[in-house]
Amino acid sequence: MSVTLMQGLLIALFAIIAGIDFWLEGFYIFRPMIVCTVTGAILGNLTLGIIAGGLTELAFAGLTPVGGTQPPNPIMAGVMTVVLAYTTGKTPATAIGLALPFSVLMQYIILFYYSAFSVLTKKLDTYAANGETKKFTRLALLPTWIVALSYGLIAFLCVYGAQEPMRALVNSMPTWLSHGFEIAGSILPAVGFGLLLKSMLKAEYVPYLLLGFTAACFIKFGNLMPVAVIGVALAFIEYYHNKRSMDNEKKIKTMIDNAGGNGDDSDGI
Amino acid sequence: MASNAPENKGRGKLTKRDISRLGLRSIFNQSAMNYERMQADGWTLAMIPALKKIYKDDKEGLANAMGANLQFINTNNYAAPLLLGLEASLEEHGEKRSTIDGLRIALFGPLAGIGDAITWFTILPIVAGITASFAKQGSILGPLVFFLVYVALFFARIPIAQLGYNAGTKAISKIRENSAIVSHAASILGCTVIGGLIATYVQITVKTKIPVSAGHTISIQTQFFDRIFPNILPLGYTFLLYWLLKKKNVSPVVLILATFVLAIALSWLGVL
Repeated sequence: MSVTLMQGLLIALFAIIAGIDFWLEGFYIFRPMIVCTVTGAILGNLTLGIIAGGLTELAFAGLTPVGGTQPPNPIMAGVMTVVLAYTTGKTPATAIGLALPFSVLMQYIILFYYSAFSVLTKKLDTYAANGETKKFTRLALLPTWIVALSYGLIAFLCVYGAQEPMRALVNSMPTWLSHGFEIAGSILPAVGFGLLLKSMLKAEYVPYLLLGFTAACFIKFGNLMPVAVIGVALAFIEYYHNKRSMDNEKKIKTMIDNAGGNGDDSDGI
Repeated sequence: MASNAPENKGRGKLTKRDISRLGLRSIFNQSAMNYERMQADGWTLAMIPALKKIYKDDKEGLANAMGANLQFINTNNYAAPLLLGLEASLEEHGEKRSTIDGLRIALFGPLAGIGDAITWFTILPIVAGITASFAKQGSILGPLVFFLVYVALFFARIPIAQLGYNAGTKAISKIRENSAIVSHAASILGCTVIGGLIATYVQITVKTKIPVSAGHTISIQTQFFDRIFPNILPLGYTFLLYWLLKKKNVSPVVLILATFVLAIALSWLGVL
């Protein structure tokens, strides 16, 4: 069975909505469970969609966008699993594997966007510095629209018309290029930290930065909680230390004031 | 003396509705996700109505607050409303800028860890596991239950934001007593966590191996850099960028493009 133009357009429209949802992580309709079901409904085979949804959801269960990483794209995986099972008559389980190149294609587009959108922050800095909230809002939403359109376009091309060229494109992408995207992604946060240090770092805080860095290097743990706890401990040490010296200063000051007062009284003697 | 005391006059008050709106607006957190500052742009976008209400006609105050919010942040999307609510209460009561920024920076990382553990590694596997077993038999109950759970979780952003706001309001009187010391302590906490963030987020691994004799090679990464200090390249590169930004006034855009081109080129050469 083949996909009609109308069905292709409907799937593209749904990919746009799910794409925005994945970008913002809103209602989780980007998970294969929902994507497959809706795609199946559009193609007129709801049961196929639901079954494929269950299988693909489990296959993608471990692939989560945690900490700014980007797994193979669940939307394109869901859409293409159902479309390929529908058009080729293969089982959903087989179709999951065949859908993978399309999922990887979208993954790399998003990875590229993560790097590319870094360029917008400078302009947003300017708008923020002038307190221009309207312009800021417009520009801060622009990436979402760009991503949405990309989903619509890629989904339409993959579903209707250009399936083979798309598969060839993914297979011909050199590994150094895709690897380069990944490397750029893992180095670019350094620019963000450089900017953060520019506004926060004073010479007196450098020791704490080094302590936090060293702690994170040697404490192997899933998140930064141990480093934060060390930071809290250091902050409290300094807090109580300063508070004590401030209280002492106050005491000394009142003592001096009192002493000074007595001195005046006894001046005549 | 007046500069030390938090300024409170002329600030707008936030209502419960404003905080609910903030909770819903936390959806914008990833609207402009990018590798340089991750969620900073979307985070600020979510805060805008609250900041506008707090600063009213004080255009300079608004600009300062927006600029300060536009710094690196990356947290879990359900932890974001908690942190947004907390920050809104501190902004509303005019806490020192360094206190607000220090707390935000210190909290987003640990909250990301906790939030991810709950949402991605606990809720999702459970919900997906149960609903997939329905779906595999072709039952519509699978996708339907899945959808309803996540709609409910979306609206949980509202009470989560209220929770953060109330926690902040309670903490304020404590902070108020010693605002200068608290802001110093918050900066210490912030800088400690930034040190940890550099070690975990920035990753540079050199692949080059030097042949020393037939069949024997030395890996520059594991046998040289890692022996000096782990993550020494990320720390060095971050400080190089800091130096370029602070002392040489190089634009961040130039540094982003240079880093990007460098990464692709070194990948092509097989160095990284």
